[in-house]
Amino acid sequence: MADDDYEDIDMGYEDEPPEPEIEEGAEEDLENKNDELTGEPIDTEDKEEEQPVERPRKTSKYMTKYERARILGTRALQISMNAPVMVELEGETDPLEIAMKELRERKIPFTIRRYLPDGSYEDWGVDELIVEDSWKRQVGGD
Amino acid sequence: MFFHIVLERNMQLHPRYFGRNLRDNLVSKLMKDVEGTCSGRHGFVVAVTGIENIGKGLIRDGTGFVTFPVKYQCVVFRPFKGEILEAVVTMVNKMGFFAEAGPVQIFVSNHLIPDDMEFQSGDMPNYTTSDGSVKIQKDSEVRLKIIGTRVDATEIFCIGTIKDDFLGVINDPATV
Repeated sequence: MADDDYEDIDMGYEDEPPEPEIEEGAEEDLENKNDELTGEPIDTEDKEEEQPVERPRKTSKYMTKYERARILGTRALQISMNAPVMVELEGETDPLEIAMKELRERKIPFTIRRYLPDGSYEDWGVDELIVEDSWKRQVGGD
Repeated sequence: MFFHIVLERNMQLHPRYFGRNLRDNLVSKLMKDVEGTCSGRHGFVVAVTGIENIGKGLIRDGTGFVTFPVKYQCVVFRPFKGEILEAVVTMVNKMGFFAEAGPVQIFVSNHLIPDDMEFQSGDMPNYTTSDGSVKIQKDSEVRLKIIGTRVDATEIFCIGTIKDDFLGVINDPATV
């Protein structure tokens, strides 16, 4: 299912209207909350946002290794571009290392949009997903 | 004419502006980007007066930038055919004169200047009536009527006339 996401990768282009071609809605946490409060069903994206509200989400509560790779990559890129770091640092300097630390502490302010084959999608906060690293050690909480 | 309308724009935000001030940064970037621009459809954006709503951000792959759909209220200025405007003369030559009303440039051809006004060349080129009582030169303020607009995607240009009742010089700095 994460492979669905990957087909979108080359679509990232500047001022296109936000169509459902987008894979991750990303935001600072504060932002997210504000939006949910003020969310008026004005544009199409907002209308579609009501759909996941119907719940119950049916995709896995485990983060796939593809999602993990993508999140770490994107977050490390942002950190390398001077984005504020969401965790206390203990001398780490490598952006990827910092991103991994953020993921471990579930502080990455992203939402994953999982597209399903029928075009619908589910949004999962990174902090909701259980992360296992490639060696099957569980990293995140349950 | 001025309008107060709601526009929408997708703002790309650099990761360094994330954090608790994200919203403020987004708004100041919006103002910087949008104020003073001109779109053929809406006219000149004079000022952003408020933010209606900032949508959910969207991460752009490969760049780490985040795109936010922002709805904002703004004051726009759009000239219309037949509208009467007051404008400041910026350049006078034998073809006519150019005037500016805020951001919009207006050309008044000598065919559209009353017939009794003659072009006078020289150091300060101007249009003067035969008795010299009315003079149009650089920095004069004129009231004119727009008779044509050319609207490009990013520019608006107007043709005006002062050959009509109650049009012409309203305040001449040379005489004040």
